[in-house]
Amino acid sequence: MSGSHAAAPPPISRVSSGRMGMALFLFGDAVTFTLLIVGHLYLRRHAPQGAPHLDLSGTLVFSVLLWASSGTLWAAERLRDVPRVSGVLYALTGLLGLTFVAGTLQEWLQLVQAGYGVSSTLFFTGYYTLTGLHALHVLLGALALLVLAALRFRDRLGWRRRGVTDALGLYWHFVDAVWVLLFLLLYVWRGP
Amino acid sequence: MTASPTRTRTRLRGAASLLASTDHKVIGLLYLALGSLYFLIGGLEALVMRVQLAAPGNAVLTGETYNAFFTLHGTTMIFLAVMPMLLGFSNYLLPLQIGARDMAFPRLNAFGFWITALGGLLLYLSLLEGPPSAGWFAYAPLSERPFSMSLGTDFWAAALIFMGTGSTLTAINLIVTTLRYRAPGMGLWMMPMFSWMAFVNSVIIVFAMPALNAALVMLEVDRALGGHNFAHGGSALLWQHYFWFFGHPEVYIMILPAWGLISEVIPVYARKPIFGYEFVAGSTLAIAVLSFAVYAHHMFAVGLSRPVNLAFAASTMLIAIPTGIKVLNWVATLWRGSIRFETPMLYALAFLVQFTLGGVTGVSFAVLPIDWQVTDTYYVVAHFHYVLMGGTLFALLSGLHHYYPKMTGRLLGDTLGKAAFWLITLGFNGVFLVQHALGLMGMPRRVYTYPDLPGWGALNRVSTVSAFVMGAGLVLVLVNLVVSRQLGRVAGDNPWRAWTLEWATSSPPPAGNFTRLPPVKSRRPLWDLAHPEDPDHRRPARHDRTHGHIRPEEQEHPR
Repeated sequence: MSGSHAAAPPPISRVSSGRMGMALFLFGDAVTFTLLIVGHLYLRRHAPQGAPHLDLSGTLVFSVLLWASSGTLWAAERLRDVPRVSGVLYALTGLLGLTFVAGTLQEWLQLVQAGYGVSSTLFFTGYYTLTGLHALHVLLGALALLVLAALRFRDRLGWRRRGVTDALGLYWHFVDAVWVLLFLLLYVWRGP
Repeated sequence: MTASPTRTRTRLRGAASLLASTDHKVIGLLYLALGSLYFLIGGLEALVMRVQLAAPGNAVLTGETYNAFFTLHGTTMIFLAVMPMLLGFSNYLLPLQIGARDMAFPRLNAFGFWITALGGLLLYLSLLEGPPSAGWFAYAPLSERPFSMSLGTDFWAAALIFMGTGSTLTAINLIVTTLRYRAPGMGLWMMPMFSWMAFVNSVIIVFAMPALNAALVMLEVDRALGGHNFAHGGSALLWQHYFWFFGHPEVYIMILPAWGLISEVIPVYARKPIFGYEFVAGSTLAIAVLSFAVYAHHMFAVGLSRPVNLAFAASTMLIAIPTGIKVLNWVATLWRGSIRFETPMLYALAFLVQFTLGGVTGVSFAVLPIDWQVTDTYYVVAHFHYVLMGGTLFALLSGLHHYYPKMTGRLLGDTLGKAAFWLITLGFNGVFLVQHALGLMGMPRRVYTYPDLPGWGALNRVSTVSAFVMGAGLVLVLVNLVVSRQLGRVAGDNPWRAWTLEWATSSPPPAGNFTRLPPVKSRRPLWDLAHPEDPDHRRPARHDRTHGHIRPEEQEHPR
């Protein structure tokens, strides 16, 4: 920027406040996840026992459902002008998210019954921390999506309230993307 | 005076509307009130500690209680006193300075405040369970079971997550407000200096707080669920890395808005525009980046590898450059100015001296052998109190005296203000100047008592007595704040004859802030309005280039 002070109006951005605020929040969230992942990798280097065999195929089914929800969300945002249809699609997105959370819980239950709790090994400490924080993100997002679905179904949150849906959409795609990383790290990769 | 039932009802309704408000000015004041309350609590904790340290072998507190005291003192002062006060100023001033009606997300703003208040409550509820006593830095494995068995540390972690969330939400709010709600005509490079600093500060908060959250989540997984992150097979160093990756940016979070206040105060009382605006703003950006790059200088004594130590020593010396640029610019703003020694200016001048001293001792730590010699001694305590109190606290007091008329419509008492200033300044320097010497003599920090070595008792006594002098000064400030609310002289819109937007509206500003915005064509819209014959935006050179001369009409003391 030069020091000239032309009285030009400032470029007010075209991004909605909601989207901008959520993007900033997700920057911070990305830092949290990054640090947890880095810590987990670092500790895994020193883990006496490597990564155990987790249920890859079962988790893959739930993961695909979660990733599919990014598609339904995209469709819901494309069909925003048709309140009922977009409402149903938002609801579907939220339900897919809840299914994923249920899958995570069921997997935890199986692991704990097999004797793998948080405190059993270094790997599982990180595993539960990461999957737990992620499942919490999915749960909160899914509940918000269901509220959004109910509102859209009744033709609320029109174009004037674009920021809300923008922000939630951004959040949901971010959470799905994080799961790609976590899935590769915890289930596919066999450790150092 | 007996209150009639209707009056009581009106009062209650007034209080309720205050607490339920989403107006950024009310929330800013609530933040300031919360910060002041906890500042009082943290200050009392400090005084108790000073009493314990007044003489060698004192037995006012046991060792364990003393640990709890310095843990609570540190946590309270950082998260519940300084940060809320700075965020309060940011909340109050930033929308006014950029000509916005309110923040981008008013309700989120209120939520951020209340969740911070809840965090403070949680921290002090831990007293019922046994307070946290692992220090504000809570190094593992000391903060792990079985070394900290009481729930105090869990309360502490939960409180920090709440307060961190509140700060993050407020920071996001400030960023979006700055980017999207500036007055027409106001480019980023026309914003007042405080807004710049609050904006950059918010960026640091958004990136630093999540690191603390990650560390706290891992700590709680360890403590509550028996995980192995930092102990029992995990890595205690990992905690230090994560904590300081948050903790060093945190100390810059605690100084940036304070610099902003100083950058607002000095030009007004020196009757000159800030010198080198671009450099003061640009160096802030440099500091935002560097603040993350220096974090491991808190860990020189850990035994990291030599290249790592050298890299962080170098970055620590580097960060002194943008800081030095700021100090030089403030001094250059004073140069040949027409200085008015009002109370805010006195605090600002004391800030300059004390902050520079704290900065110089800070750079001395970047020299590894010096750090190894004085780390964990009172030299460190002296250093960071010089930057946090001699710096941030004095800037806060400066800003408070400067903006009180805007917030309440009345001026603070002058005599009382100046008396308090001298008590605080003398007291503060008495407390911490001698601690440099104590540290160099080898007195370790965080010990509840010390042997009767030559000089230690005397210096500690000086420190304790001065602490009470300073406390008296702060009480005077408090009295001044309360009394002036009713008895102060009516201030009017612009008592200091400043030129930025926040002075364009009434004191206190109405809901919605501005009835009419002056046109913004330069960095000093009110100057342009008052001097249509010589507005800033018509000047051929950069408007702050006054060639070392003050404009004749700004001359305070005719020569």
